[in-house]
Amino acid sequence: MEQLLAQVPQQIVNGITLGSVYALLALGYSMVYGVLKMLNFAHGNVFMAGAFAGWAILSLFQRSGLIAIPALALAAMALAAIAATALLGAAIERFAYRPLRGGSRLAPLISALGVSIILENAAMLLTSGRAKAIPTELLIPQDMVVHVAGAAISATRLAMLGTSILTMVILDAVVLKTKFGRAMRATSQDAEAAEYMGIRTSLVISATFMLGSALAGLAGVMIGLYYTQVDFMIGFSAGMKAFTAAVLGGIGSFQGAVVGGLLLGLAESFGVLIAPPVYKDAIVFAVLILTLILRPYGLYGKPQQSRA
Amino acid sequence: MMKNPGGKLKVISLALATVALLLMAATGVVRPAKLSPIKIGAAGPYTGDVSKIGLDGLNAIRMAVDEANATGGIGGRKIEIVEADDAADPSKAILVAERLAMDRAVIGVVGPMNSATAQAALPTYQRAGLAIISQSATNPDLTEMGYKVMHRICPRDDAQGPASARFIVETLKPKTVYIIDDKTTYGQGLSDQVEPALKAAGVRVLRGQISMEDRDFSPILTRVKSSAPDLVYLGLANPAQAASLIKQAAGLGLKSAYMGGDGLKEKDQLIDGAAGLAEGMFVTSIGRDIKEIPEAREFIRKFESKYGAMSVFGGQSYEAACILIDAARRAHSDPMKITRANVIAALGKTRDYRGILGFPISFDSKGDVVGANIFVYQVKGGNFVPVKEYPATVPAR
Repeated sequence: MEQLLAQVPQQIVNGITLGSVYALLALGYSMVYGVLKMLNFAHGNVFMAGAFAGWAILSLFQRSGLIAIPALALAAMALAAIAATALLGAAIERFAYRPLRGGSRLAPLISALGVSIILENAAMLLTSGRAKAIPTELLIPQDMVVHVAGAAISATRLAMLGTSILTMVILDAVVLKTKFGRAMRATSQDAEAAEYMGIRTSLVISATFMLGSALAGLAGVMIGLYYTQVDFMIGFSAGMKAFTAAVLGGIGSFQGAVVGGLLLGLAESFGVLIAPPVYKDAIVFAVLILTLILRPYGLYGKPQQSRA
Repeated sequence: MMKNPGGKLKVISLALATVALLLMAATGVVRPAKLSPIKIGAAGPYTGDVSKIGLDGLNAIRMAVDEANATGGIGGRKIEIVEADDAADPSKAILVAERLAMDRAVIGVVGPMNSATAQAALPTYQRAGLAIISQSATNPDLTEMGYKVMHRICPRDDAQGPASARFIVETLKPKTVYIIDDKTTYGQGLSDQVEPALKAAGVRVLRGQISMEDRDFSPILTRVKSSAPDLVYLGLANPAQAASLIKQAAGLGLKSAYMGGDGLKEKDQLIDGAAGLAEGMFVTSIGRDIKEIPEAREFIRKFESKYGAMSVFGGQSYEAACILIDAARRAHSDPMKITRANVIAALGKTRDYRGILGFPISFDSKGDVVGANIFVYQVKGGNFVPVKEYPATVPAR
């Protein structure tokens, strides 16, 4: 039998790297839920769009030879993905969700599913269904590996972790220290009251959508670099993971999204120690079901108060 | 009393109709009516994970049909292709099989390309009495279930598996082999053939599974690394997935030799996709590399000038379509009397068909191809280089 104990440090590293990306995704999911009280099923597809935006910029760099400056290429990929997904998020909100606001709560949900299907199929048509390789090795040396307590931590993983932490710190500052952040929290608490206080909630919702989508876009670039390829199918599973992480942590809660993401990544990695690797997604969803039974409002969520 | 006024009218109209009929028949003798087109189905994954392989197959079938139409079609009947996209999904394969079965003008089908889709759709094709000729479905069971409609021009996994194991044992001499499969009929099936043959030779074998949807392989690779195998055998259907797995393994510091089945032998997705890390990897192939076959040169040139670089099953797809058309031409002397039944009979009688695959093709009574070889290739300098070949012998059942 394989040495189970020897795998523990590496699986921790695997789990945290993946978890940090799930955390970014879950943050976007939670933010949108906060202001709109709707599940954005298209979130995973926005993530996929971000991954493709990164790939597109990288191919451009490759063709022009600018790839010789990896830092520039990486920054351009991140910025392109953030810009593209922020715009995409704004467009989705404007055309698919806003016209339905104030109506049935189910309508935007169905609309979100529709957007998700449209984005996935558009990506399939644009790429003829083929995986696009991302030459990560040209940007981050693949043999640069740090060994800590029996775990190999590649430079890619370190970069992912660093970027995630930095993004979360910035996000924290934006939400807690800026005027926009305050407006967002107010809208999230009670949109109607916020409107009375002179907050243009429509604008806030738009901006929140853009911010959440941009987080997904950034996560897409990181996953693209990590998996070394992108394809049109990555959105669905990413969306499911983001949803699970957000619910696990308590949907609407920021700390919850981060903790939920990390726990999910770790559950996926450690699951393979006790079960065949093929069941790793089953383990993830078992965690979700358990959470829903034991703590329906998630780890950091508050029990829902019924509104008058 | 009034006479029935309709009586006279009826006589006149009857007479007119008779004259019209006679006229039509007469002109028919002078200028024969245009023969109705004949249809062949093309079942394969044209969307989804392995669509690249599927679309290349479809294009090759198109070429075969265009060429046949240029030389008179089938006894003067134009051939049309009915595209049947199964997205490599067994449930979709059944749906498209039903569709092909219902279209009475369809007399045979090229495909399905995947073992799982072929397995799912076979009962439907059997019920419709519709001959299928698969270019790449290698699972042994397909021709062992007694379906008369099933034919294939590729050798089976129970020939490929033992040949791979023989190569591994004789050439690589590993102590431990870790087999990763993707749960598909093909990937798992091939791995199930490799495993016992390796164990019989005294090699320690460990197994692990992923799914076709997986993108993150670090959990399983961490397990693989801890058992330090000399060789990792990839029973995967998707070369892009294999490339990604090899790249992620390098990131984990896993150093091992790799080997895979025929489904991975695709330069653009495996070798280029793995960015140099697939160097040294072995793959088996169920046919000689088409670029090494003189008879195929003209086909490759035409294909690539029209559709761009060809992937792994282009040649096989072309050959399968040509064999089906050839059988239809032999099925009946009167092109209007070609039926599904006589196409099956004619297909079964295919003897030493010489096309572009470099060996004469015949079918045995089960529909399996006779006389094929299994080839082993190695990635060297960014290309597949032939290393060894074995006759495709199937162990007795």
